[in-house]
Amino acid sequence: MLPLNATLAEPQHFSLVEKLLLVLLIAASTAAFWLRLRVLLGKILQSKPDAGFRLFPIGKRLWDFLWEVAFQAKVIRQRPLPGLAHAFVFWAFCAFALVTLNHFAAGFGHGFLSPDGRFGRFYFDFAAVFALFCAAGIFGLFIRRFLVRPNWLGDKLSYQSGLIALLIFLLMVTYLAAFFVADVSSAARILWWVHTLAILIFLPIIPHTKHLHLVLSPATVFLSRGGFSRIPPLAGDEDFGLIAGTDLTRLVSLQAYSCVECGRCTEHCPATNTGKLLDPKEVILNLRSYLNEQGPTSDAPLMESLAAPEVPFQCTTCGACEFQCPVGIEHLPILIGLRRGAVNTGAWQDDYGAKLFLALERGANAHGLPTAERDKFIEKAALPIFDSTQEYCLWLGCMGGYDPKGREIIADFAQVMNYMGASFGVLRKEKCCGDPVRRLGNDLVFRQLAESNLEVFAQSKVKKVVSICPHCVRTIQEDWKEYGTPPAIEHHSEFLARFADKLPMEGAGGFNPRNAAYGHAGALAPEAEKIVYHDPCYLGRYRNVYKQPRAIVKLAGKLVEAPRSHARSFCCGAGGGLVFLGEESGERIGQVRAAELVSTGAQTIATACPFCNSIFRDALAECGETSPQLLDIAQLTARSLPTAET
Amino acid sequence: MKIIVAIKQVPERDAQIRIDAAGKWIDDSGLQYALNESDAHALEEALQLKEKHGGEVIVLSAGPERVGSTLREALAKGADRGIHIDCADLNKLDALGVARLLAVAIKPEAPDLILAGLQSDDLGQGQTGVILAELLSLPHSSLILHVDKTETGLTVKRELEEGWFQLIELPTPAVLTIQSGGNKLRYATLMGIKRAKTKEVRLLHATELAADSSPVVILEHVALPQKQKFTQMLTGTPKDAAIALVEKLKFEARVL
Amino acid sequence: MSGIWVVIEDRDGRVSRISWEAVAAGQKLAALTGLSVHAAILGAHTELLTAEVAAKALSQVVRIEHPLLDSYTADGFTLALQQFFAAEKPDYVLFPHTYQVRDYAPKLAARLGQTLIGDITAINDGPLFTRQLMQGRLSGSYRHSGNGPCFVSVQAGAFRADAAQPGTAAISLFSPSIEPSQIRTRPSERFRGAAQTVDLGSAQLIVGVGRGIKDPANIPLAQELATALGAELGASRPICDNGWLPAERQIGSSGQAIAPKLYLALGISGAIQHLVGIKGSQYIVAVNKDPGAPIFEVADYGIVGDLMEVVPALIEAVKASRQ
Repeated sequence: MLPLNATLAEPQHFSLVEKLLLVLLIAASTAAFWLRLRVLLGKILQSKPDAGFRLFPIGKRLWDFLWEVAFQAKVIRQRPLPGLAHAFVFWAFCAFALVTLNHFAAGFGHGFLSPDGRFGRFYFDFAAVFALFCAAGIFGLFIRRFLVRPNWLGDKLSYQSGLIALLIFLLMVTYLAAFFVADVSSAARILWWVHTLAILIFLPIIPHTKHLHLVLSPATVFLSRGGFSRIPPLAGDEDFGLIAGTDLTRLVSLQAYSCVECGRCTEHCPATNTGKLLDPKEVILNLRSYLNEQGPTSDAPLMESLAAPEVPFQCTTCGACEFQCPVGIEHLPILIGLRRGAVNTGAWQDDYGAKLFLALERGANAHGLPTAERDKFIEKAALPIFDSTQEYCLWLGCMGGYDPKGREIIADFAQVMNYMGASFGVLRKEKCCGDPVRRLGNDLVFRQLAESNLEVFAQSKVKKVVSICPHCVRTIQEDWKEYGTPPAIEHHSEFLARFADKLPMEGAGGFNPRNAAYGHAGALAPEAEKIVYHDPCYLGRYRNVYKQPRAIVKLAGKLVEAPRSHARSFCCGAGGGLVFLGEESGERIGQVRAAELVSTGAQTIATACPFCNSIFRDALAECGETSPQLLDIAQLTARSLPTAET
Repeated sequence: MKIIVAIKQVPERDAQIRIDAAGKWIDDSGLQYALNESDAHALEEALQLKEKHGGEVIVLSAGPERVGSTLREALAKGADRGIHIDCADLNKLDALGVARLLAVAIKPEAPDLILAGLQSDDLGQGQTGVILAELLSLPHSSLILHVDKTETGLTVKRELEEGWFQLIELPTPAVLTIQSGGNKLRYATLMGIKRAKTKEVRLLHATELAADSSPVVILEHVALPQKQKFTQMLTGTPKDAAIALVEKLKFEARVL
Repeated sequence: MSGIWVVIEDRDGRVSRISWEAVAAGQKLAALTGLSVHAAILGAHTELLTAEVAAKALSQVVRIEHPLLDSYTADGFTLALQQFFAAEKPDYVLFPHTYQVRDYAPKLAARLGQTLIGDITAINDGPLFTRQLMQGRLSGSYRHSGNGPCFVSVQAGAFRADAAQPGTAAISLFSPSIEPSQIRTRPSERFRGAAQTVDLGSAQLIVGVGRGIKDPANIPLAQELATALGAELGASRPICDNGWLPAERQIGSSGQAIAPKLYLALGISGAIQHLVGIKGSQYIVAVNKDPGAPIFEVADYGIVGDLMEVVPALIEAVKASRQ
């Protein structure tokens, strides 16, 4: 039992020899720490400055810092139990700052926190609580890493981590034990020295291991690029992307050195989960090795440090990695940077990739189909042409303009817009928004498409755009900014949610004879139709839109969630331009996700992205007659509209 | 090898075709232009030969000012320099007239090989390359899918009808017209475009080239074909529909 | 000037169908101009061919023979015809528009200071020769101006081979002088592409199978239709995914892109991944039991019906037409 008035024992007198020894040890420890840290800081500072980096507005940075670092929000939210354990360790470190300072001061006879003084006693007790939680936490994490051994921590046992865990545990135990011994006892002295040695051994280990994140990650989080998947502009005529060490920028280097090898990025990566070579953690660690071995002034190709040249091209840009990372690593600009380096120089030789680039060099859409096809569709669906008098410009996109399913979604959405009395028109000429080439790193074609489209928008005096495709929304709103000022654009789920109260939908348990037209023969039974909603990557993680599409789904039937939903949603596999790149090796990402959605037992799968829709359509075809029906939220809405009187 | 690739800038495949006021050609206002498809394959073949055997690839094109952008595109893909024969009314010339212009520009260059696309996407004559060979008194072959350099000259793979092929040996200098699809086109890259900025494009004027240009063949007028594409649904019993379809395929579409 | 000369080309030792079409075109031109029609045949041994041609309503048939004309070369044929026409001075020279003609006729025309009017689809009063421009989206009418012969080549199928009127023609022989050194190209024996691999990309006729085929047991039926047509068999993705046909037969954005004269889509709905692969087809025929299938939007001909009924009927109809 801890006696209530027990307090931290502090040895009072250290001999001159001990003090000298302490000085030497501190000197050695800090020297070892600094010598290594200096090299790493050097590598970071020798790297190229980041083009387009803006420190201001600083508000968001401060908030992110507070939320992610101080409150450990990401760490806890994404992996609750281990996250909490880590948070305790971190908070204990923070609490211990004062204690540690006092500890060393006491070694020279100038301790400023007195166990007798009110503040001193309070603080020691305060720190003791943290020490307890920290010790428990580190113990739990040790068990997890060395006994439970989850596979995203890797196959190899990290003795480094074991040592650090031991040192931290020792630090906490020696601190707590000091409550149970007397000031003047030799036990107190031993505890003091063990604690000191633990710290002085720990210190130089920091820059030699992933525990460098202790020093770097607060800076990494603070100095983020300022947006999710923020692709930096190319700097000047000789910059083509990440090709060699000289292309690595300070942010990239800082982030590479901050990696804690936690494996959260890998755990959620759709490529890794389907047997591809791409492993986001490995990419970052390979960059780190490159920096250590070659450095930021080297001409050696970065691609050779990766497992294979196709690795960056297996990324769907779903963003689960960047979204998860607790230390602020931004994987997407790095992966896209590697792609840029290969594509902007022509080094990437891929039949499908070349076909896509050639189609967009010459023509207007990513499929390589004649634009007359889009004109035919507009005529057949009697879509009004935008002439600056309407409020909204309805952007068709490559799927809405050319894909049979995408066209159905457009037709239904147009019907809904008409019903709601929203005035809209479609552009006479549209070119691909450029999303696939942007994500594949072809800056030449992207610039051509963005500039061409921006000019059309300006000439047509478009103010507001609505689109059925989250990729178009993202690219138009964010990526086109590099070449001009895009008009305001929203996704059709955001539009629909705004007018939800105008929609005549029956809601959960509703029955509508129009349902018969959509997939299943005969009307659905009166009990609520279970609808599982799949969050598209470019709507969820990229745009933070989760509630609006669900609001629509809830009006149409009974919403059920997939096991991985919201920010954890599992990619369909189409993104990053991959849908245009031919067949995947190994298991198909879309099939994995489709199986997950089907396993919910829902009668309907609701999508909000025409690419997800297209992927699932193929995947569900394998299930045959018993597969759930697949509907976009626009279709879910349209089917509840009253039929026109003829 | 010194290779000259004769390229043509043609209206984009996607373009809306409207007849001009005089009824003699299409209305080219608002048209987008691009590099002719088989010329792109010719350029690719030339670039691959240069990569294998060294040398120089020169692109040559005749036409108005806008042709410059297509020449730059070719330079961006890897050609070393360009020659632009400024000619405001290329349309008034027939194939012989165009070939004469090109021949005058090519002669002083004395290349080892001249490549041209098989035919243009707009006029589709498929003659310029063959006529060039005649005017320059060089051996030639057409419908070429692949070119190999040998000790004695070239061995080329020529496409024949109905899935047959043939190898032809010929000496250099020679002229070849290249069929689409024989090689895989490379895509334009940012690096290519940036490098192209410093490459030379020499400007010649058709009027100064002293080439005989009076046409022997004159395009009297153009018209949009009567048939617009629509789907003919064949109805009736399966047997009736099948017989009707085969009739159509044999005599209307003429593919059987 | 001596009228209209039709240059005959052979296929495997017999007069090719397209040559008969050129003869028919020549006879039409004769009707328009009042000129007489003759034929010329080039080769090393042209007796048999000449006998065939002489059974048509032509004024004469000339055998242009020389050992060096045994296999086609541009130099050889150009020289021979140049010499022949130097004597004959034709008003019009008609060729069938074949790969061979494309290789030498422009050369011959240029040698005589002329330009070939190639790949014509019609001859009208004037005479005006019609040909397709802008990949068939525009048609143009050409006339010949100036002195000298007018060279024309005739598109396959533009005239009907059986419209060539029968008759009797006089036969004569012409021997050009050709030196071996004047032949600068050396052609090899012709050969086929690799027989093992499935090259849908160059196939001229393709039958595609989709999910409408329902059962792998029905695939032989589609194969039978393909064989009757002389076509290759291809498939949409789900068929290959299920393993009913090998992956190399997949047509679509992640399979092969095809550009045949004729594509017959059986039970294929027309998803964009597939449409992207078939957009190069000259003619598309769709058979599907769903009248609303998107494939009908891009098809030139369509039949709505059950594959199991339509395909056997098609096989019969195709076989009957071959007889």
